[in-house]
Amino acid sequence: MTAVIARRPAEGDRPAIVYRAAGDRHVLVEYGEMALDLELNFFVTGVTAHLAEHPVPGLVEAAPGFRSLLLHHEPAAIDRKALIDAVEEAHLAQRSVRSLVLPSRLITLPIAFDDSESREAVRRYTTTIRQEAPNIRDNSNIDYIVEYNGLPGRDALYATVTGTEWWNAYTGFFPGLPFMFPLDPRNAITVPKYNPTRTWTAEGAVGIGGPCVAIYPVEAPGGYQLFGRTVPVYDILARHEVFRDDPILIRPGDRVRFEPVSEDQLLAARRDVLENRYEYVIENDQFSVTDYLARAAEVRAEADTLRSAREAAAARTEVP
Amino acid sequence: MTDTHAVFDIVMPGLQTLVQDYPGRRGLQSKGFFPSGPMDHVSFRIANALVGNEPGAPALEIPMGRLALRALAETWVAVTGAEGSGIRLNSTPMPLGETVRVVPGDEITCSIVKGPGFRLYLAVAGGIDVPMVMGSRATYTMGGIGGVEGRALVKGDVLRARPVTAPPPRLRVPASLRPALANVWEVEVMRGPHADPDFLTEQDWKDLIGREWKVDLNSNRVGTRLESHRFQWARPSGGVAGGHASNVLDGSYPIGGINTNGDVPVILGPDGPTAGGFTVIATVVQAGLWKVGQLRPGRDLIRFREVSLDEALALAARVDYTTDPHHYEEL
Repeated sequence: MTAVIARRPAEGDRPAIVYRAAGDRHVLVEYGEMALDLELNFFVTGVTAHLAEHPVPGLVEAAPGFRSLLLHHEPAAIDRKALIDAVEEAHLAQRSVRSLVLPSRLITLPIAFDDSESREAVRRYTTTIRQEAPNIRDNSNIDYIVEYNGLPGRDALYATVTGTEWWNAYTGFFPGLPFMFPLDPRNAITVPKYNPTRTWTAEGAVGIGGPCVAIYPVEAPGGYQLFGRTVPVYDILARHEVFRDDPILIRPGDRVRFEPVSEDQLLAARRDVLENRYEYVIENDQFSVTDYLARAAEVRAEADTLRSAREAAAARTEVP
Repeated sequence: MTDTHAVFDIVMPGLQTLVQDYPGRRGLQSKGFFPSGPMDHVSFRIANALVGNEPGAPALEIPMGRLALRALAETWVAVTGAEGSGIRLNSTPMPLGETVRVVPGDEITCSIVKGPGFRLYLAVAGGIDVPMVMGSRATYTMGGIGGVEGRALVKGDVLRARPVTAPPPRLRVPASLRPALANVWEVEVMRGPHADPDFLTEQDWKDLIGREWKVDLNSNRVGTRLESHRFQWARPSGGVAGGHASNVLDGSYPIGGINTNGDVPVILGPDGPTAGGFTVIATVVQAGLWKVGQLRPGRDLIRFREVSLDEALALAARVDYTTDPHHYEEL
């Protein structure tokens, strides 16, 4: 038996497609190659929107990933073949993503690097799960991220995080967690995930796994290397008015910019959130794929050079 | 308040007793919510069927036992699931898989579940009345929603139910339709989405299917952890997704997916992560998921059996058949 149900080669602007079995209720559709190519994510966004506008009976949900779509279906209402036919229609309806203009808010969040709660999560991991691991030094993952990417030091890592807008490719893991990727390709760093994962992470912790930066919305297990902490991004109790209409702060297609603060400043901000005094900085804006691609092209040579150096450093670094 | 009545006072809440409904909170995976709902959806639906409820009506999930509750009204209940809990109605042993009438003052108590099995389900006629939150009444403790205030029951909680107009027929599940509990389990899976040949080697797949896996003590509704295992992997590394070959660019996970966290396979539970950057090498099929809810952490062993899509669908139909009260014995 095989997990691959069908493959479609790339055609024109449409990426290659692989349909994979994920049990008897799900099909995973993957687009293009496993590369940090945001155009694939824009394509996923388009297909997801199409399926929302043209509901397929029996399709419970299409849940996006960075370059994939998980189709949850009721086999009694739609069999696997009919499901794939319906999604093929959505693929055919896609126009080139290169001219897309998407609604996108810019959210500025404070970040305290190397905060004590993230250190506590790492400390607990070493006492309960794995004592010695290459990604842990002095109850922190930060020096490992630095070394894996060949950065000159911690400040260079912090500058990499604060020096770009982060694109929320989709939401998942636990309620409201943004999976974010750098819009400036020069700021693309990558790091392996935990092996095995942590059983506890503080709410508000910020970490990186592969090329993706995430904010932990609730206390949760987790596999990303932690480097800082921010303010709440999820609150079902809506203690702050920003959560009144939706317990989730960061939507797919929003962008996040991090602003460094001290841990004391962060703790004060977190208290202010609970008392509904904090001011979340949110600008309503748009995102033009054309402009993004033009900017990315301008810095491509520099980004490629940086990437080669980082890959060389990664090759020299132990994997957990 | 007028259309519900108080049915139970929680005297001893147990380890993490939760109000669940089925199929739970669906269609919110893209916001980061897995469906919640019962870990053993078969025992859960059978309990509801025995008291005349819709199969998905809100009822209790009781991991490991140690529950005591006092009835506050005349009503009908049914308990299903794990064996060896010493469950009693007052001083007499209470049968599993049967409709049982209770009157005010009656006490239902059980001790720690000895097994086989790990979770008990208790349904009450009319279904437990808790608010609908985001499309479901299921408790999701990590998100703080559903059930009783988004949390496990505590001593002193009073549960309410919608009263029923007539007593439900008294039924018993025949032995042939009862879920078969074990200490060594065979769990049906389908290969993938990230299996051989592009992610695992053929030998890796044989290793997954061929060996017995111990269920780690650190297992819960989020995930069932298995032992660490060094797969060979078909790829030298996860590339841009991270140096370990178990790493992929992040995507959404299927419930029941066997998610390789580095070297540790984890079966994703109903409160599990909806997405992430680890391969899912196999997926427990709908008909096999209930067994994951009855695995005893730290003790039970499992063996995976690969099934085709057609077999998975046939098994699911067989499981659904066991939850239909038309096939039960009248007492």
